[in-house]
Amino acid sequence: MQTIYTLTQTLVDGLLIGGIYAVISIGLSLVFGVMHIVNFAHAEFLMIGMFVAWYAWAWLGLDPMLGAFLALGVTFLLGMGMQRVLIKPILAAPQVAQIFLTVGLLFALENAALLLFGADYRSVSTPYQTEALSLFASGGERIIVPYAKLFAFLMALGLGASVWLFLQRTRTGQAMRATAQDATAARLMGIDTDRMYMLAFGLGTGTTAFGGAVILPYITASPTVGSQYVVLMFTAVVLGGLGSVAGAVVGGLLVGLIQSFSALVLPIQLQNLILFVIFIAVLALKPEGILSRRTG
Amino acid sequence: MARRGTLAAYGGLAILFALLPLVLDPRGYEMRVLCLVLLFAALGQAWNLVGGLANQISLGHAAYFGIGAYASTILQQVAGLSPWIGTLAGMALAALLALLLSVPTFRLKGHYFALATLAAGEAMRVIANSWSDLTGGPVGISVPFNPGSSVWMMQFQTVRPNYYIFLVTLILVTALFWRIKTGAMGYRLRAIKENEQAAEVIGVDTYRVKLVASLLSAAITAFLGTLYAQFQFFFDPDTIFGLAAFSVKMALVAILGGVGTVAGPLIGAAFIIPMEELANSYFGNSAAGLSQFAYGIVLVAVILVNPYGIVALFARLRGGRRRDRASRGGEARP
Repeated sequence: MQTIYTLTQTLVDGLLIGGIYAVISIGLSLVFGVMHIVNFAHAEFLMIGMFVAWYAWAWLGLDPMLGAFLALGVTFLLGMGMQRVLIKPILAAPQVAQIFLTVGLLFALENAALLLFGADYRSVSTPYQTEALSLFASGGERIIVPYAKLFAFLMALGLGASVWLFLQRTRTGQAMRATAQDATAARLMGIDTDRMYMLAFGLGTGTTAFGGAVILPYITASPTVGSQYVVLMFTAVVLGGLGSVAGAVVGGLLVGLIQSFSALVLPIQLQNLILFVIFIAVLALKPEGILSRRTG
Repeated sequence: MARRGTLAAYGGLAILFALLPLVLDPRGYEMRVLCLVLLFAALGQAWNLVGGLANQISLGHAAYFGIGAYASTILQQVAGLSPWIGTLAGMALAALLALLLSVPTFRLKGHYFALATLAAGEAMRVIANSWSDLTGGPVGISVPFNPGSSVWMMQFQTVRPNYYIFLVTLILVTALFWRIKTGAMGYRLRAIKENEQAAEVIGVDTYRVKLVASLLSAAITAFLGTLYAQFQFFFDPDTIFGLAAFSVKMALVAILGGVGTVAGPLIGAAFIIPMEELANSYFGNSAAGLSQFAYGIVLVAVILVNPYGIVALFARLRGGRRRDRASRGGEARP
């Protein structure tokens, strides 16, 4: 029998990891929303973010929570460059070409990381890594909130809110949303849509890299770490509606909760299987809802 | 005129490939590479049935491939069954999975279909990894060794017989693809690719046509999985259900060569597999990841140079029939 403590702990764990999924999914959803490109290589930017934060910690002594901003900046520029060179030429190409270009990019980035950084797992050590908040302690029962996860969650929340504010409140953000809704009309209104595409891709990759950097205190970095997040990320984005930033947040939190609650009843290896099934089911049951966003 | 010429060219090619082993070392490395070329050409052809003709881009065909490989190997291990029989179970299971998947995925198009099939392939990998009692789990599974050559157990002293099995399979699959493409079903599939609603309106049972094509594609892919298992003798879930190793590569073979064309997978496989092997043997030991890195870069570069594939590139160089126009389709943006 599950006690109320186990259930609350599961809820807390799910929300803590779900917040991370939310911030990494925002990036993916933003790219799709603005450019209608499904970026299969997107999880690789999470890996790049982790490595930037790791080097910032190893060379400069920066805590990953601060290194995350460096990761954001570096991948923002990297993403803008990649958009200009690789994505822009295929924006009007057949979907087959779009799919395989980003799949090729996935292989290239993952193996470039393998060449540059080696296959070793890298982790950081921070003062708060082994500490945890202990809540509602009574009679040996308590809710444990590890600081590393709490900080990562709060950072993710902060960035998610910033991206949302940027899109809602700034002129550039509004221009970006206008481009997402109808690029032709946006161009007629004098919006430089090419610039918006570049910014959106940079912001998308940067946000995901930021999410990768803040989890570095409790997840080890390796060149293949991205592959563990691909399906999670796509599930979160599809659950919330492809292209919607607020939807990605809801989807991310849901995926975190599904993962932690399914761990109560299922062996750990099958955790992701549940997500695959939900993913396919959501795609199947809501395709019109998702597709209708494309024509805006 | 063109058709008789094309037929003669394919016949000549088949004879050339049939004679090639006579001048090569039957235990040599070149023979293994050629076997893989034939395997991937056949896989690309099977993928082309749905991916090429109906433009339903599957990124999860490794699911069927792995089912074929596991079914025949497991039946051999526990019952000593011949892979020729075991593969029938694999083909049936793969077709069953295709049938199950058709329910949620057939309404999807483009990116959404690709994502759903990708998840299906990954789900099979997770199952194979965690169901250790049946599959042996992450450590992989070996085909039971039977000393001596035997056609019945599909085990041979050299790879030369494997080569001929691959070659015959490729010829049959190519012939089947050509039959379907030029027949009524091919027209229906292409009608779906151009405009699914319009196809429905003129009386094409789109669900049924897509289903028949995917059942065929799944069963052929499973059969090729058995052939691969008997050729390789060992595999593990992460390879056989792998995204990079099979799902993407078999689609890539068809797409680089020219999606939806008979020659596409043949050209694609003849180009990609030797290039990859060359990169592997050249860089293999010096730096891990370099050949895969090059693979990704070449993929990106080819698509940037021409998003419609190599066949279209040739057609354009010849100034010919502009087959690239014909092979794009399904892209009419509303």
